[in-house]
Amino acid sequence: MNKKGFAFLLGTVMSLSMVLTACSSNNNSPANNGGNQATPTTSTEASPEASEPAAEEPTEITIMLPLNVAQTPPDTIKNEIEKLTNTKLTYQFFPADTYEDKLNTTLATGGLPQVTYLKNQATFVQMKGAIRDGQFWEIGPLLSEFPNLNKLKPLILNNTKVDGKLYSLYIGRPLARQGIIYRKDWADSLGLKTPETVDEVIAMAKAFTEQDPDGDKKANTIGLADRNDLVYGAFKTIASWYATPNNWGEKDGKLEPDFTFPQYTAAMDAMKQIRDAGAMNKDFAATSKTDQISLFTSGKAGLYIGSMSDIDSLNKDLIKNVPTAVVDTLALIKGPNGEQATWAIPGYNNVVLFPKSAIKDEEALKKVLAFYDKLMTPEVANTMFWGIEGTHYTVEEGKAKVTEDGDLIEREVKGFKDSLIGEAETNGMYEGFYTLPGRINAEAFTKENEKIAIMDPTAALDSPTYTEKGVELQTLITDATYKYIYGEIDKVGFDKAVEEWKKRGGDKIIEEFNAVYKK
Amino acid sequence: MREVIVHPEQVQAPRTGSGITRRLRRNIWLYVMVLPGLLYFLIFKYAPMFGLIIAFQDFKPFKGIKGSEWVGFEHFNRLFTEPDFLNILSNTLILFGFNLLFYFPIPIVLALMLNELRMNSFKRLFQTLIYLPHFMSWVIIVSISYVMLTMDGGIVNAVLEQFGLEKINFLLSPEWFRPTYILQVIWREAGWGTIIYLAAMAAIDPQLYEAARMDGAGRVQQIWHITLPAIRSVIIVLLILKIGDVLELGFEHVYLLLNAMNRDVAEIIDTYVYTAGLKQGKFSYSTAIGLFKSVIGLVMVISANKLSKKFGSEGIY
Repeated sequence: MNKKGFAFLLGTVMSLSMVLTACSSNNNSPANNGGNQATPTTSTEASPEASEPAAEEPTEITIMLPLNVAQTPPDTIKNEIEKLTNTKLTYQFFPADTYEDKLNTTLATGGLPQVTYLKNQATFVQMKGAIRDGQFWEIGPLLSEFPNLNKLKPLILNNTKVDGKLYSLYIGRPLARQGIIYRKDWADSLGLKTPETVDEVIAMAKAFTEQDPDGDKKANTIGLADRNDLVYGAFKTIASWYATPNNWGEKDGKLEPDFTFPQYTAAMDAMKQIRDAGAMNKDFAATSKTDQISLFTSGKAGLYIGSMSDIDSLNKDLIKNVPTAVVDTLALIKGPNGEQATWAIPGYNNVVLFPKSAIKDEEALKKVLAFYDKLMTPEVANTMFWGIEGTHYTVEEGKAKVTEDGDLIEREVKGFKDSLIGEAETNGMYEGFYTLPGRINAEAFTKENEKIAIMDPTAALDSPTYTEKGVELQTLITDATYKYIYGEIDKVGFDKAVEEWKKRGGDKIIEEFNAVYKK
Repeated sequence: MREVIVHPEQVQAPRTGSGITRRLRRNIWLYVMVLPGLLYFLIFKYAPMFGLIIAFQDFKPFKGIKGSEWVGFEHFNRLFTEPDFLNILSNTLILFGFNLLFYFPIPIVLALMLNELRMNSFKRLFQTLIYLPHFMSWVIIVSISYVMLTMDGGIVNAVLEQFGLEKINFLLSPEWFRPTYILQVIWREAGWGTIIYLAAMAAIDPQLYEAARMDGAGRVQQIWHITLPAIRSVIIVLLILKIGDVLELGFEHVYLLLNAMNRDVAEIIDTYVYTAGLKQGKFSYSTAIGLFKSVIGLVMVISANKLSKKFGSEGIY
């Protein structure tokens, strides 16, 4: 027993040290990398006392956040931020895939650090119970004391309020980045004109499938590559072209969920039409994002509907496989009624909360907020988002141009990038400088999209039943939508699922949203 | 001589304590050796069971167990009245039945076959090859299956097409979920499962086989009359343990195979706990479901054990 235990201990220590050394050598990071990550504790307790004696003493802040890349980034960016803001930061990264779990269990054990990032809007909805219970500091009244934080957009702040009170800072995102990424070389070789309406997009998907756009005389191409995600995959964007409301819409002066509108059915029919024609991957309901991307980058599929900013990475991998490929972006698609439309997010994709368990008093809270205030100055914001000038990006025409070495950015900057609050207009960082024509178009389309964006009328509203059961109930609708597209149920079957949704709590959600909507 | 023997007993006669302390002192090292294992079970298995009380509370993480409100059987009530509950339970039991019926006998058959091999080097090589998949994670296995089974250029469907057959939607059709699941389980675990049986077979006295051959028994007869009866108790113990795990069907595996189209047959208790409970931070509800699951497992083990004793085997306790 003892011997085994010792061997196990030895094994653990050895593999651990291997992991640490592997990390630091991979990352070209300073030698103290491993050490820094291994000592994240103590700081939470120490911060209030430590900063009292002299104002010069750096504030110690521990930050918990989701990690969207495979490896924990080295301290390059962190050290720079610490210097600029006079802080001592400890970042606790956790993989984004399992972040909700981590968040819930850490909350359960009362171990959340001073600064806690959530994962997305859905996580925020789930967290509202804990927020209402007074687990987090209300920061609304304090914002006016911080000149930079005060610049944050009131409209978006409003979307993140809970019962009219502000508890969080938001990570800003362009309202509507949804659009099409497509193979321009294929379209040109088939002599297709740039689609302007939904029907033309569907026709393009079919043409890409049937007319051998890569010219190898084999039927080995498909139009659309989609994945098992009705929201950030193709479906919701296509639905919005049909002018389907964004989650909720008004019907006879009353809020109703999007799937009760005829436009939603029209969108399902469109998807069904594409799938029945074999113009998309038939297994999309079981396709992961990785598999979807490889369909496009291997030169098998010619259309990708989703976030247009994905074009950089798609293009990079595609030209490795198909050197002659040309990609472009497209948006502002007209629906059957001849009007352009697209859906929009509520202007943020994540928020930061400040747990009371780790921040003892308002004095300590202000110190943390002061750090975020400094983050919203151009110099710090640029470091956080773009990295270090000269190493990770250069300035061209007053815009930031990232280095060619995409792996370096991925490794050192990406992990921090998603934690910068505000957006370029408010935190003063550089806009991006792009060379890929499709990406330049994407940026322009994103701005144009804002004008035709369909907003979610419930973004700032709240329904207890929705918070309690909404996600679970949505599964009913999601499953029914897939089944309709796959032709397993018809409209009658779909309506049955909607009835079921209403019966199990949907009616209550409608009622509750309408009660607060009228006010 | 007799006096010498009597003597030490008389010296020991004034005992220092009761029988227990005496026995304890005599076997002190045995107890010391058992201590780590005992502590392991106390700390990691029994102590956390106190947490089960949150199944009867409306547990709020920030209020703690002391501060949370008691709600009695509300969570169980919700579980049993959930419209999908029966469906989820029967999915779980059917999948378990598949496991027992199709997976459980395979390692035994494999072990018997391996045992009959004459060439030791070939035997060892084959054994290693078939248990290697055990070390692959489900993510990898499911991804490989996806690539092979997809309708968009998957090799299996390409072959079907070659023979002029209809393409089959393996990944999304409810009918194919269970076969896919069980085949993946067999592929990954069958080789690993043979190890214990092979060990049991190695312990069989070779003289028995010799005697059987003298009496003119063929290979099949030797297997039927010697090998199988010899490993019978091992089979039964493993069967009971397997039944105890009735609802442990591998969350990760099923979750990876689950999608909107096959949810009707693929949603099992474990995946339901994850989506409806843990992902939304409903700890009490999740715990209540977990408790329900454990109770079923316990009942199954006890009845299986009883049954095996009835049929004259030993059982696990």
